[in-house]
Amino acid sequence: MPELGRAALVVCLGLALYALFAGGFAAFTRRRRLAVSAQNALIAAFGAAAVASGVLLSALLRNDFSFQYVADHTSIELPTAYTISAFWGGQEGSLLLWLLVLTGFSATAVALNRRVGRDLLAWAVPVLGLVAVFFSFMLVAVSSPFATQAAPPDGAGLNPSLQNPYMMVHPPLLYLGFVGLTVPFAFAMGALLARRSDEAWIVSTRRWTLAAWTFLGVGQLLGAHWAYVEVGWGGYYAWDPVENAALMPWLAATAFLHSVMIQEKRGMLKVWNVLLVVGAFALALFGTFLTRSGIVSSIHSFTESSIGAWFLGFIVLVLAGSLFLVLTRLPLLRAKTRLESLVSREATFLYNNLLLVALCLTILWGVVFPILSEAVRGEQITVGAPYYNFFLKAFGLPLLLLMGIGPLIAWRRASLRSLGRSFIWPAGAALVAGATLLAFGAGSSPAGLIAYTFAAFVLGSIVYEFVRGTRARRALGGGSWLSAFNGLVARNRRRYGGYVVHASIVLLAIGVTGSSAYDTVRQQKLRPGETMAVRDYRLTYRDLEVRQGTNAEELRAHLDVERDGKSLGSIQAGKNDYRAEDQVSNEVGIRSDKLTLEDLFVIAEQVEPTSDQAIHFRVLVKPLVNLIWIAGLVFLAGALVAMWPSLAEQRRLAERYRELRAPARA
Amino acid sequence: MTAFAVGLAALLAVACVIAVALPFLREPEATDDRLAEPDELDRRRLELAEERDRVLADLKELEFDHRTGKVSDEDYRALVGPLRARAASALRALEPRAQASNLPRSAAMSEPFPAPAPAPEPFPQPDEGDPPQPPTIPDPEPPPEPFPPPDEGEPGVSRNIR
Repeated sequence: MPELGRAALVVCLGLALYALFAGGFAAFTRRRRLAVSAQNALIAAFGAAAVASGVLLSALLRNDFSFQYVADHTSIELPTAYTISAFWGGQEGSLLLWLLVLTGFSATAVALNRRVGRDLLAWAVPVLGLVAVFFSFMLVAVSSPFATQAAPPDGAGLNPSLQNPYMMVHPPLLYLGFVGLTVPFAFAMGALLARRSDEAWIVSTRRWTLAAWTFLGVGQLLGAHWAYVEVGWGGYYAWDPVENAALMPWLAATAFLHSVMIQEKRGMLKVWNVLLVVGAFALALFGTFLTRSGIVSSIHSFTESSIGAWFLGFIVLVLAGSLFLVLTRLPLLRAKTRLESLVSREATFLYNNLLLVALCLTILWGVVFPILSEAVRGEQITVGAPYYNFFLKAFGLPLLLLMGIGPLIAWRRASLRSLGRSFIWPAGAALVAGATLLAFGAGSSPAGLIAYTFAAFVLGSIVYEFVRGTRARRALGGGSWLSAFNGLVARNRRRYGGYVVHASIVLLAIGVTGSSAYDTVRQQKLRPGETMAVRDYRLTYRDLEVRQGTNAEELRAHLDVERDGKSLGSIQAGKNDYRAEDQVSNEVGIRSDKLTLEDLFVIAEQVEPTSDQAIHFRVLVKPLVNLIWIAGLVFLAGALVAMWPSLAEQRRLAERYRELRAPARA
Repeated sequence: MTAFAVGLAALLAVACVIAVALPFLREPEATDDRLAEPDELDRRRLELAEERDRVLADLKELEFDHRTGKVSDEDYRALVGPLRARAASALRALEPRAQASNLPRSAAMSEPFPAPAPAPEPFPQPDEGDPPQPPTIPDPEPPPEPFPPPDEGEPGVSRNIR
């Protein structure tokens, strides 16, 4: 039923246009019923987008190859799970997912703010409508998933790299993150349009930002794990432009989550915070543009198309409109207080912001420079990993250090005496850790040694914060240590959830440092029966198996693994030959040590099944790499603690707005 | 199939039109169609309420940080005075009389302000007993329950600022 899908998208476009124009007119002329009508249009747009999505999903599941999109991205042999993930495996489906999530989030934001944030909502609705207009227009006029054709007997299949369980969740999570940043953007713009200088937009969008940031963070880690197990080059992050495209809005949102606390605590950085929200949203659009326009050479640019110019135009419109609005509202956003000391919590947040934004901008330059170079000079230039690694060290290491310093310093100012008392334990832990690691040979990588020492300092400061906070709570309220600890976290979820997130970043840093600065790589051609040694591992190539998978021919080399003379079982690595897609993928062998968190990673780079079955193996030993995935779980736990609603806070905010005799009806 | 799809599409369009028209269908002749917005007084009051919440939060956090040892006695003494003065000032400014004398009352705020604005509580000295009531604050009525600052709620500490 492609007609229904097309009609639903046209209806969605009409509703989005109504939300934009009627909503804008209602907010400008203060018409209550029209404002509510525009809000209803956004909710109805979600219904229309859901119908369109249902039509596409149904066509995918029925293998209805009369839908061009279905024929281009699936095949009869494709397993059902990957047939579903083909929804976002192509450009048109991805845009539809964007629209579905956008209208869903918009409808939720409308429902949540109808009672408490009506004035702001009236202005946020047209902004949300504008974004929905862009995406529904793209789907109606430029890149429709409902184009039809004479149905071929079979489809072209899905890119083999996408045939991985992680692809079921990684792209949707990134989209949830990208689109989630629309809501804070819309409310920030709404506040500027309404000439509001208060914090209502921050209150309304605090959890949206946290949720979007969490989705982006988890989505990126899942993407890194996908790259690690599926792409088969032995790493998890290659500074690919599209990987960077997801990292940049995350960095901007991280900066915002820190600097917004300065606005809430001190009433400062209002302009900066609005700019960060605008930047994060524009970078989310840029990320979608990079992924889908095919403008950069990337494993993620599955398609090249004509949507690039439209996206670029919309990004320019968003940036120009937002900056114009900020400039015209500058007097409203002026801070009434100043930084009291360069040694204070807010100062460390400021340094943290500068470093995060600097890192974000250098990554942006690395992504954009090759595009500009090709456009202006006609030269194809690639910005490689050394560029990014240099800036990661230059900005990332100080950031890591600040993560430990920030929690130890009080707001406003700190004297040398209090600093000394706060720093002594974490700094002592860091020095002991650094000296111990140096003694064990970690000095082979100075950056690695510094990273580990800083990581010990941050972990020390987090533990120390929890210990002295729990002690103080127990002194105040009595009870057991456990109840004091629970009380401590429950009374300040954002702070202590944030510390847990910091701990996850430390684990990530340890994992990345261990697996990159201290890894070992060996390459060797082996025939059956031959052996190679890597560090304390010995691998013996036994045989090569050729078997038939669901939709691919699978070649697998079997290797026996020993360590220090003790058998660790076998491991297999090889390649899959996808017939329908006419592509070959690497299928790596990974053996994880649960105790040391180290991986033995085997790649069968060149398989020669027709001759003497010789294979060129590349074997990597990656110390501590599993900490990266554990960090993801800790990150999620910390983010959930920080996001968890606080009844006391809800009561306080309700009290604040009730006192103000907020408008009773809207 | 096409006719069925067109029928479903028409149903969808009609449902969406109804949803959009609902506010007008429910209230065809609304007596008040004005979308209320905060006027100058409301905005000022909101700023003051935010300032009040911010300062109370700062006080509670300062108190807690002092207890944990993060803030030294000398820093505490230097910081707590100005914070208390700001808290008193914000609380005083939120009183109806103060506002009425400073700003014209708008139509949207035509009702009297609700119950007495929160009267400031006597602030404690960090390491001493209850301090005297600040002389600048006349209203002796009991204050509302101190609400925790944004994610900084420390009920134990909040008792200390009474």
